Amino acid sequence: MSNTVPDPSPDAPPTPRAPRRTDWQGLVYVLPALGLVAVFFLVPLGMTMWMSLHDWPLLGNPRWIGTANYTRLWGDTSFWNAMRFTVIYTIVATIGLMGVAMALALMVQSEGRAITMYRTAYFLPVVTGFASASLLWAWLANVDAGLFSPLVQMLGITEGRVNLLARFDLAFWSVTIMVVWKMAGFYMVILMSGLQSIPSDYQEAARIDGASWFQRFRWITMPLVRQPFALALILCVSGSMLAFDQFYIILNGGPRNQTITAVYKIFNESFVSFRLGYGSALSVVLLIILMVLSAIQLWLLRDKGDK
Amino acid sequence: MNFRTLTNGVALATLGMGFVPGIAAAETFSLWVRSDGSEFMPPLVEAFNAAGAHQVNLQIVPVDELVQRYAIASAGGSAPDALSLDLIYTPAFAEAGQLRDLTDFAQSLPYFNELSPAHLSVGTVGDQIYGVPFSGDASFLLWNKDLYEQAGLDPEKGPETWAEIREHAEAVSALGAETYGFYFSGNCGGCNIFTFAPLIWATDGDLLADNGRTATLDSDEVVAAIAFYRGMANDNLVPAGAQTDSGSNFFAAFANGNIGISPSGSFAIGALNNNYPDLNYGVTFLPGQESGQFSSFAGGDNFVISARTDDSKIPAIEAFIEFAYSLEGQKILVANGAVPVRGDLAGQVFEGLDERYLVSAEAMANGRTPYSTVFNDIINSRNGPWITTLNRAFFAQSEEEMMQAVADGQAEMQAIIDAAP
Repeated sequence: MSNTVPDPSPDAPPTPRAPRRTDWQGLVYVLPALGLVAVFFLVPLGMTMWMSLHDWPLLGNPRWIGTANYTRLWGDTSFWNAMRFTVIYTIVATIGLMGVAMALALMVQSEGRAITMYRTAYFLPVVTGFASASLLWAWLANVDAGLFSPLVQMLGITEGRVNLLARFDLAFWSVTIMVVWKMAGFYMVILMSGLQSIPSDYQEAARIDGASWFQRFRWITMPLVRQPFALALILCVSGSMLAFDQFYIILNGGPRNQTITAVYKIFNESFVSFRLGYGSALSVVLLIILMVLSAIQLWLLRDKGDK
Repeated sequence: MNFRTLTNGVALATLGMGFVPGIAAAETFSLWVRSDGSEFMPPLVEAFNAAGAHQVNLQIVPVDELVQRYAIASAGGSAPDALSLDLIYTPAFAEAGQLRDLTDFAQSLPYFNELSPAHLSVGTVGDQIYGVPFSGDASFLLWNKDLYEQAGLDPEKGPETWAEIREHAEAVSALGAETYGFYFSGNCGGCNIFTFAPLIWATDGDLLADNGRTATLDSDEVVAAIAFYRGMANDNLVPAGAQTDSGSNFFAAFANGNIGISPSGSFAIGALNNNYPDLNYGVTFLPGQESGQFSSFAGGDNFVISARTDDSKIPAIEAFIEFAYSLEGQKILVANGAVPVRGDLAGQVFEGLDERYLVSAEAMANGRTPYSTVFNDIINSRNGPWITTLNRAFFAQSEEEMMQAVADGQAEMQAIIDAAP
């Protein structure tokens, strides 16, 4: 009799009569997802690799050239310049974004009616498209028609007009600030979910023990938001490494082609110079660099306690 | 067998339709035009379709996407049967084997020798003609007559030399802080090949030699023209925004009414008359350094046929081209902002139209079109050597910086040309 009744104790092993799923059944369940990955990721990736081994003009017939695109890429200073600019931008944007996002998340983690309004306000720019935000920024920064130039003149910072987009440093910072304004709310939400999962007892206990705000942040908050922080960081770094729209729309890669990012360079090779094969080779290299960067981050931020 | 008799009959009938002359069936063919042609092409197609012999299925494609879309459609076997193509792309398309040889058809036209030579020069690769002239687009100077009057200049006389442009621009700039003598889009390759290069051509200079195989950006004529623009930018005769304008303000700056002189194109006449009827402006040639010299970009579209277009559609397409070349067709084109490409009809097509159109036609007749298979790479690209050089040089702080920009641009342009197949 007792055999037919499941053991109510939670530690008991499953009853031998429970239906066992075989491996192939599991495979059936994930098949739709695998299919999507294959169609939308693996096939295009394979095609890109195949194209990168060809001289593949936008018009006309492709020609097999082996690894010539990759050897050429090695000596292509314009690609490495773009790569270097992309890395610098990624470092600056990531520090700015994670810092602002963490500050915002700390500010809006408590409950309250006004807090909901702040959360909404900080998140609002995220729902704007990158292209629309860039166009808006390009207009604001326009020296003849925009608002920034008269603003700094009114505040007495400069005498004459300021063309933000004509000088590399000003152009770079104005785009980076736009990105932080637009994206910080997104990372704020991720970090906020981490902050809210920290039991309030921990903070209270530490407070009673006399820990300062910084000590609590350093020794309780940071270790416990490690996982959401790692997620946000990886998204932020890979997103910044793929930056394109803002530099294309606001700056056209200028002034003096100093703000051409890696993806911008790939776009130019593929759709301006019509060299799809070479553009594909650059994409493959960028993909490998991104994979290495993500692996390093995952390794650095791995949850050591679980191992 | 009844069935076999029937199928044979159908097959024979089908063959007969194709081979017996005079029984050409009404055909529908697909035609693409870049969005710049969205004023003149629809009325032309409408008139042709109304005649009823054949039908055109027209699609307007955004100008920045035309080459990419065509390439994708072509790879997928769905390229349009015919295309009104920005003329500078004709060599690249033809050399990639995308276009049908039109030599016999073109030379059979009785008015072949009257067709725009600039269009034909880029429509011809080797001895074969792959693109025939379709619509023209000339470049010239606009000047604001009201501002001229306020500045004490003769409102009926535009500038005829570089020195006069400078002189007039100074007078208009002196009117006030929000008024400027001159405007150009300082970060737009396409705009500047259209309106700045003619200043060089007018003084017998050039930016490409040897049929597009040699860059001459560092020639004296090019440097002189750059120095002329740089001088005006340096002395604040040009609004600060010109430095970063990638073309979005190319037309609007002058239309706003606070710019004295601005280089522009024939499309501006229709657009200004329709949208800014109160703007009192004149039209004159893009001059050289000395009086009497002038030039223009000979732009516009060549008409091309895709290499894989079915033979059965050719008579219909040829009928459309001939309709566009007829007096009626040329009048429709001109009334909607295009410069006519048939010289012998120029006198008749302009009857009853704004006389400013005549300036554009004469400019066009003296116009040039650079020949290059890498035009997009070196000239049109937002990051290509042409606009990078001009932007750096126009707004250089010193003469050394300007000369460095020119030297760098020359080297880069030549490197791209040398790397091309």
